[in-house]
Amino acid sequence: MRKGVRLMLIVLVVGIVLCFSCLALAQPREETLIHDTVTGVVGTPDDFNTWAGWRWPDRGLHQYCLEPLWIAEPATGEILPLLARAWPPEYNEDFTKMTIYLREGIYWNDGIPFTADDVVFTIELHKRVPQLLMHGPMAEYVKEVRKIDDYTVEIALTKPNSRFHSYFLDRWGALRPMPKHVFEKVEDPITFKFNPPVGTGPYVLESYDPAGYWTTWKRREDWDRSATGQIYGEPKPKYITTRVFATEEAKILALLNGELDLAYLSVEGMRAAMRAPHVRTWRKEWPWACNIDPFVPGLVFNHMKEPYNLRDVRWALTLAINIEEFMTIAADLMAPVSPIHIPPVPAYKKAYFEPMYEWLVNFELDLGNGEKFKPFDPEVPFKLAALAKKKGYPVPEDPEAIKDIFGIGWWKYAPDVAEKLLTKHGFFKDEFGRWHLPDGSLWRIQLSGHPEPTTFHHRTMLAAADQWRKFGIGVETWTPVAFTTLNLLGEFDVNTTWAALEPWGAGVDLYRTLWPFHSSQVRPIGEYVAFDPGGSARWSDPRMDEIITKLEKVAIADEKATIELGLEALKLLVEEMPTIPVYGGIAFLGWSEMYWTNYPGAENLYPHPWHWWPNFKLTLPFLKPAKE
Amino acid sequence: MDDLEEENKRMKAKTLRTYLARRILQYIFVVFLGLSLVFFIPRLLPQDPIRAIIGQFQQHGAGLDTKTVETMVVTFQELFGLSGSLVEQYLTFWRRILTLDFGPSFFQFPTPVSELLRRFLPWTLGLMLTSTVVAWLIGNIIGGIAGYFSRSRWARLMDVLATVVRPMPHYVFGLVLLILFAYLWKVFPLGGGASIGKPLSFNIVSLLDVLRHSFLPILTLVILNGAVWYHQMRLLVQNVKNEDFVQYAKMGGVRTWCLVSQYVIRNAMLPQVTGLALSIGQIYSAAIIVEIVFSYPGLGTLLFEAISRADYNLIMGIAAISILTVSTLVLIVDLLYPLLDPRIRYR
Repeated sequence: MRKGVRLMLIVLVVGIVLCFSCLALAQPREETLIHDTVTGVVGTPDDFNTWAGWRWPDRGLHQYCLEPLWIAEPATGEILPLLARAWPPEYNEDFTKMTIYLREGIYWNDGIPFTADDVVFTIELHKRVPQLLMHGPMAEYVKEVRKIDDYTVEIALTKPNSRFHSYFLDRWGALRPMPKHVFEKVEDPITFKFNPPVGTGPYVLESYDPAGYWTTWKRREDWDRSATGQIYGEPKPKYITTRVFATEEAKILALLNGELDLAYLSVEGMRAAMRAPHVRTWRKEWPWACNIDPFVPGLVFNHMKEPYNLRDVRWALTLAINIEEFMTIAADLMAPVSPIHIPPVPAYKKAYFEPMYEWLVNFELDLGNGEKFKPFDPEVPFKLAALAKKKGYPVPEDPEAIKDIFGIGWWKYAPDVAEKLLTKHGFFKDEFGRWHLPDGSLWRIQLSGHPEPTTFHHRTMLAAADQWRKFGIGVETWTPVAFTTLNLLGEFDVNTTWAALEPWGAGVDLYRTLWPFHSSQVRPIGEYVAFDPGGSARWSDPRMDEIITKLEKVAIADEKATIELGLEALKLLVEEMPTIPVYGGIAFLGWSEMYWTNYPGAENLYPHPWHWWPNFKLTLPFLKPAKE
Repeated sequence: MDDLEEENKRMKAKTLRTYLARRILQYIFVVFLGLSLVFFIPRLLPQDPIRAIIGQFQQHGAGLDTKTVETMVVTFQELFGLSGSLVEQYLTFWRRILTLDFGPSFFQFPTPVSELLRRFLPWTLGLMLTSTVVAWLIGNIIGGIAGYFSRSRWARLMDVLATVVRPMPHYVFGLVLLILFAYLWKVFPLGGGASIGKPLSFNIVSLLDVLRHSFLPILTLVILNGAVWYHQMRLLVQNVKNEDFVQYAKMGGVRTWCLVSQYVIRNAMLPQVTGLALSIGQIYSAAIIVEIVFSYPGLGTLLFEAISRADYNLIMGIAAISILTVSTLVLIVDLLYPLLDPRIRYR
């Protein structure tokens, strides 16, 4: 009897295991590209109406199904026309009229041609329906939109706006054209789920998880009738699956197992994953990290709080930072430092970093009593390289390669100069080496950061706290869950969001980055500002207002004038240092070469390397199946 | 004599009615208080639900200008029903509770909270209720037997195992199982509730698929929670087995298994039954960790997201279910006590 029971149990267990093992993926693995979704579990799995709210667009919706008129491409620094025929758009003299020429031969994935009617309909619907996300600017600026012919749209504006096109320029979101033939039949465009989504992109929805953990897309039979297909050719994967992993450990195991091809990782995760022979990183050698992400982690002072409204205090805190120690904690030396408020990405190196170099070298601070100090240290990249070498990392010898990895330079570590700048205003140190404010009280900085320890904000916070404590200031680190809300409300002394709003990362226009520093954007503490990066500093300067006003009158096509004003603004930001820019954004990627190869790594950088950006559709035609 | 019996019966019925009325009033008060707290506490958070949504766009660098942000704030305030005063919102809240319409989730707008609950509750119930009940049964049965035969070799071995397993965090234990059975020996999947690309339906293949995906999460919970029940039951049994009535029954020749099950375990069960009802309220906290480790769908992660993004309606929906379930279960257990233990009478 007992033997019988035991035998039955064994048969049952083996049966279940075998039965489980027989189950497999619905799509052939060799034809499927699988990547993670960085924004988490899709909360609206059956809803693809991205015009009406947050719909987890990186589940593949904005990468594979939808296409914009124009897209910013940080990898090459260009702005590319997709549904539009050319870049830049055509404006009249006083920027009250914009004309868009559309690409011909594009079809929605249900077989209807894409024409000017779709663009006109999209703008008119947004103008009319207040609940649509981009209603605000369309209602404010659009006087009339009309179709000139099937592939030409003319938009008359209510007032001059030389940057009106930016609402249609995709950088992780834009007003992308809607299919008129779908939405014109819809009673309520807000609650409409747009399922299945009808886009001009090269893929169609195949299936999705009702719980929001995965979405699968299938290549269109007529992929050549998408803008992506027409310009770049056939996207190679037949299927693409986007997956959500709640932990990085599971993501790494999936990458090692061959269940995942592309993953966005933390530095620790990348180090673990890259031990597998089939997993590569963006740069094959150290520092591995992808360093062309267009944002600048930094330290943001609250200008509505004393003593951070004092320029000398801000500069003293900058010079109290030993950048070698800082970068070791913040990014393990893998990111390029940036002394200015934009990242050292391809678009800006030539336009801004190179022209500013001499100015930075000669820039002087006034320490009082006629004493001057040149704070810029062009040796920083070489010091960082030496430190990296000491840590055992393989560092190139070529100075240009070193600058590419570590940046062009940063500010000197000069605590003695910082001391002079502070004592000038009545700050003093006690016998224990602790700094006191001019009123005699101990100086304590409330330094806030994101609660998630792997984020750039958090690491920047730890690095800055370490440096300023060593300098003798009491630093309280604070990681509230409501980090962003509190930043917007001004409830902090110093926060660790980006030093300025992320630029487009392509083209040379810095209007987007400078605008949060306009005086019209400043709000008192307790009132929301519109932008966290840049805006939460609550800093303004009439000179910056003037530059922004001038920039508004410069055509986007006039690169020379745009760069000149951009340089003027960047110099002003360095002089005033309202926020401290520290380094250029980096991303840690893990790419499995088990099923797909020819990824856009540093040695082979064609288009965009980040699979969660809408640009990733442009990368797909260049991927190669590993078996080839 | 008959009159006396009649009077006794009447008194008993009156006592029971009074007790029931008092207990049900207490139940209503607990539910009212709990739900009111659910309304007020999230509103004390510094997190703003609308800014959290806009932040989600901005976090990735989407080009939202000031005008867009301003109009989005106004629009969302109207859509979410956050434009009225606190009193108006509180009244709306009760209207919604009474009609079981919790409104839309803010972060997952326009998805109604009730739809999210419908979508995720079955997963949570399936995973958590199964594992809670199985862990409770296994822990108590093995704990009870091991407590009675505490000197035997296998009972001591069970003690060692439970002591080793019990302090392990769910996260670590789950991860160990994941590495062993999904990476090294690829028997179970790395995560999710079902296979990719295969929509769920009511057939044997789908059922096996769901079972396969929920096996490791359930195993984690059953082993770790079972160890806790095991220890508790073992201690309870060790006390009960030395009581006089057990000794008398033993001397009276009651058979061992009858003694263990009817005399010892049954008497030691009472606190465990209450513990089971109360532990239902903790399923979300345990669920969060397990859902995270195994990327398993459910209300735990949803609640965590709702709190971190100040999604008041969603917090309200999930918490309301939790409050109602736990309060009702405790009420039922209280009322069932006399059945479980004849010694208890409501006076």
